[in-house]
Amino acid sequence: MPDTKALRTRIKSVDSTLHLTKAMGLVASSKLRRSGEAMMKARDYAASVRGVITRLTASKECERSAFMRRSGEDISRTRIIVIAGDRGMAGGYNANVFRLAAEYEGAQFIPIGKRACARFRNGDAVMDISSEHFSSEDAGKLARSLCSDFTAGKYDRLGIISTKYQSMLVQTARIEWLLPLERSESVGPGVSIIFEPDELTILGEVVPEYIAGIIAADIRESFASEVAARRNAMDAAGKNAGEMIEKLQLEYNRARQSAITQEITEIVAGAQN
Amino acid sequence: MKNLSLKISTPDGNVFEGQAVKLDVRGICGELAVMAGHTAFMTAVKPGHCDLLFEDGSERRGELDGGILNVSADLTTLLASGFRWKE
Repeated sequence: MPDTKALRTRIKSVDSTLHLTKAMGLVASSKLRRSGEAMMKARDYAASVRGVITRLTASKECERSAFMRRSGEDISRTRIIVIAGDRGMAGGYNANVFRLAAEYEGAQFIPIGKRACARFRNGDAVMDISSEHFSSEDAGKLARSLCSDFTAGKYDRLGIISTKYQSMLVQTARIEWLLPLERSESVGPGVSIIFEPDELTILGEVVPEYIAGIIAADIRESFASEVAARRNAMDAAGKNAGEMIEKLQLEYNRARQSAITQEITEIVAGAQN
Repeated sequence: MKNLSLKISTPDGNVFEGQAVKLDVRGICGELAVMAGHTAFMTAVKPGHCDLLFEDGSERRGELDGGILNVSADLTTLLASGFRWKE
């Protein structure tokens, strides 16, 4: 016969897990709108800067830029920014990012987000960069140092691994290569425009802004993905916990009933003797 | 005086979107001002001041961390990595 006391303890424990998942789901829901708005704003900015870069890299003169220098695809001279979350309990959000990063084993990783910092810890150095509170000023500082290292020839390729927010239910990990810049062919039939002083100088000044804009936009998009993934995970966990409680409750009632029946049978048998 | 349509955009959203008479910033080639009817041009902007003059004569001063200024016939866009108003 199942132990009713053990069943009661299990029901209590699953119930407290249900409370926890509900609370985490509610926190995620409250952050959902704010993170979605921040993502849209940063996306707009990144699209505008990307448009400027496309225009500049289409010009012949910019081919001489240090940012368009190609020096092979040696993985040890590749830097990859990895954006993951600050916390777990978000379904496969962090795992998907790390799985994609594992495909570039040997690259120099620049982690953003506490989970990524723990994963790519460099020796004993303590890194604790929050992806939720990473400001656009922080992105600017990081972009400027990455650009000066690139022009100094300290590395050959810069990529960024982040999570693309497709919908509330679908978020996918992706990699985007930022440096060296690709030469673009497609420039719309725009009006002639004056570059002050010239395309090459502007490109040199604009690339750090472009990298900073993309980092900021990808961080905001990844955070929106994390929040959505956490809400979905907590919804599913809450549903599972509810089903488990129902099953355990049924089992408990059955055990309790059978204990009562047995007791009555014993009393009746005792009275008959 | 004629107005120009201006948008100042940062990764955290648009800090200004509307009409202004004049925009003053520090470009990589020196101080510059943009007014309505300016020829289409593009330049990089250095960190420093960003001042706006409005039709009613009022001014609004800001500070930016560098960016890109793109002037076209219908819209002037200033993409700044960081921007703060000086109130």
